[in-house]
Amino acid sequence: MRPRKSFSPQRRRDTALKRTVNKLCPCVSVVKCSALLVACLVLISADARAQAPLRWGADPSGGAPYVFTDPKHPDKYVGYELEMVEALAAAMNRKPEFVPTDWQTIVTSLERGEFDVIVNGLEPTEDRARVILFSKPYYIFQLQLTVRKNETRINGLEDCRTRTVGTLGNTAASRLLEKENIPFKGYEDPVGAYRDLELGRVDAVLMDVPMEAFYARPNPRLKPAGEPFMRGAYVIGLRKGDDALKAEVDAGIDKITRDGTLERILRKWGLWNDAQLDLRPKPAADGSPGESTPEEVKYEITSSTFNWSEALWRLTRAALVTVLLSLGAMVIAVTLGLVLAVGQSRGPAWVRALSTVYVEFFRGTPVLVQLLFLYFGLPRVGLAMPGWLTALVGLGLNYAAYESQVYRAALEAIPKGQYEAAYALGMSPVLAFRRIVLPQALRIALPPMTNDFVSLFKDTSVAFAISVWELATAYRELANASGEFMLLGAIVSAFYLLMSLPLAHLARRLELRLQRRQALRAVEAEVAG
Amino acid sequence: MIRIEGLGKVAGETRILRGVNLEVAPRTVLGIIGPSGSGKTTLLRCMNGFERITEGSLEAGGVRLEAGLNEKEYQRRVKQLRRQVGMVFQHFYLFPHLSVLGNVSEAPVYVLKRPRAEVEAQARQLLEAVGLGQRAERYPESLSGGEQQRVAIVRALAMRPEVLLFDEPTSALDPRRSNELAGTLRGLVEQGQTMVIVTHSMKFLEDVADRVLYMESGEAVELGDTAQILNDPQDPRTRDFIRHAD
Repeated sequence: MRPRKSFSPQRRRDTALKRTVNKLCPCVSVVKCSALLVACLVLISADARAQAPLRWGADPSGGAPYVFTDPKHPDKYVGYELEMVEALAAAMNRKPEFVPTDWQTIVTSLERGEFDVIVNGLEPTEDRARVILFSKPYYIFQLQLTVRKNETRINGLEDCRTRTVGTLGNTAASRLLEKENIPFKGYEDPVGAYRDLELGRVDAVLMDVPMEAFYARPNPRLKPAGEPFMRGAYVIGLRKGDDALKAEVDAGIDKITRDGTLERILRKWGLWNDAQLDLRPKPAADGSPGESTPEEVKYEITSSTFNWSEALWRLTRAALVTVLLSLGAMVIAVTLGLVLAVGQSRGPAWVRALSTVYVEFFRGTPVLVQLLFLYFGLPRVGLAMPGWLTALVGLGLNYAAYESQVYRAALEAIPKGQYEAAYALGMSPVLAFRRIVLPQALRIALPPMTNDFVSLFKDTSVAFAISVWELATAYRELANASGEFMLLGAIVSAFYLLMSLPLAHLARRLELRLQRRQALRAVEAEVAG
Repeated sequence: MIRIEGLGKVAGETRILRGVNLEVAPRTVLGIIGPSGSGKTTLLRCMNGFERITEGSLEAGGVRLEAGLNEKEYQRRVKQLRRQVGMVFQHFYLFPHLSVLGNVSEAPVYVLKRPRAEVEAQARQLLEAVGLGQRAERYPESLSGGEQQRVAIVRALAMRPEVLLFDEPTSALDPRRSNELAGTLRGLVEQGQTMVIVTHSMKFLEDVADRVLYMESGEAVELGDTAQILNDPQDPRTRDFIRHAD
């Protein structure tokens, strides 16, 4: 992979031009331009705080040191990019608003309008340049190869041709490995990659230095293989067409770079190095901008400082989301399922055909695929729903197919005589259905419905794929932040059981009651006969 | 009253009824007998629109059905007809999810849109009259066969039909219950009820019916007073059937 600055020839020329200008008249033109621009923006946004917030998206799961769950306060996010965005937003006179999302699909989520900018160590690659805009770079990073402590065979990337290298999926590192034809495995987060390295599932891990510094360097069982190499830049991603916002963001980056805010943040996080000087719009005239070097923070990504009570509180709220998701989805499933069942058993031929196609489609394809389609596919035709609504609707549509079959079976179990008795009393078909058939069918359908509800309840965990903050997502994020996969796993399971067991119990009781009633009837029939 | 003229029914290739002519005077009971498959149940089901007639006409409770009516008009008239003609099924078909009182009140409240309190008061009276006053809050599954049947009768009566149809009402009853039922029905006739009863029981016919129709192969073979049909049938087919009956 080429150095990161070569995103496009056009850009390279611009940068070169700027450098020349800078050399010719240091600290004049760019500063003036930027200052003017900032002044303009401030003027335009006179009542600054009333302006739209700066909604920024990043993946906080295993996201240190960019943005991640604070182990000391699992209800809060921390990270150098979080601090940078706060500074940037202040420079732009906006309020920052963090939108947690998933790294793999972050560009699509930006396009969907879930947030306005990506600030997540995003590298300006050519394929991304086709779909989104980039701000100017705010950080120069390098790549570092990590191996196990006792590793002797691997000293650099060239030793990895026949081994599997772990890395973060969809990053500069993964693209480099792809280009170099080195077998690699893409991970969702650095935690998983380094854990698998320890466990011997991969032989090396290639990662941006900031992540390596936080997740690998403190680990005594791992060591760096060779020096950091390659240079790339992190930029902020924006939607195509948001040129005004891009100008605003660029001006903001200039401001926090120039006034030393960014350097202070980077130094605080131990991420500062001389390479960053390249990004400075003007060389420091005199003195040192970072004279008051703050002490470096040491974030331990271990359980020792993990705050359990806050974590539990977060899990509780995630559990509430899970419950609300299942309830909402069940309402859709029950209503639509009934329509489908009636359509399939009573409707005219075309309604029957349509209902059957619907049922077979939703039963025959994985719910995960359906959710991804709804989340990423529908916005292409102009229908963009937020993640939670997508999960709710998607699961509802899916379970409607199952419910319809339960109802259909229940409706078919109602003897023809019940209809005739109702009709003989002068009831219309609609009235007979509503007052006589439906209540009886529901009684039959109730136990299987409860079972379905239990499994729907567990299936809400697929919403994790579209970044809905429910219990499974919470598990992954908190476990990545604390390393407590076992204990948190047990707690999360307990949460699920706490909610699903009473339901399962209810289902069993209903079933028993129905069976008893049937048994009673059988005995009566025998006595009568 | 009921008047049937040249009624016939063909379903697909099969002829089920042919040229039935019949009259049932108000406040009388007509019994219909005949071997299985003779069309007697089908004829009964024609009388409240469950089977569509394909020839002739049928008039009951002031509503007239004709073979040639278009679907919409036919359904409209069937709806009117069912307000006038009630039915008690062989297997009762009580609504298992409703109490006895609920079974009886359901149609008056939701079809006739009468106030529930008034309907229930009347339902309790009717239940009392057939000895089910203590059973109003029970559910059908906890009742005996005879009790269930009386609920089914009361359920039909609560709609105040002009004509009441019975399909094999004694099939699930022992002789004593059968006698009780006959008493109940005679009581209703005295209060002005017109009835048509399909049955296999000659004893029951003797107790209840004013006139009897003998059917065979979809034809109305012989119609006469009960005593005449049972003791002195004119048609050889009727005679043959009566001789072999219980």
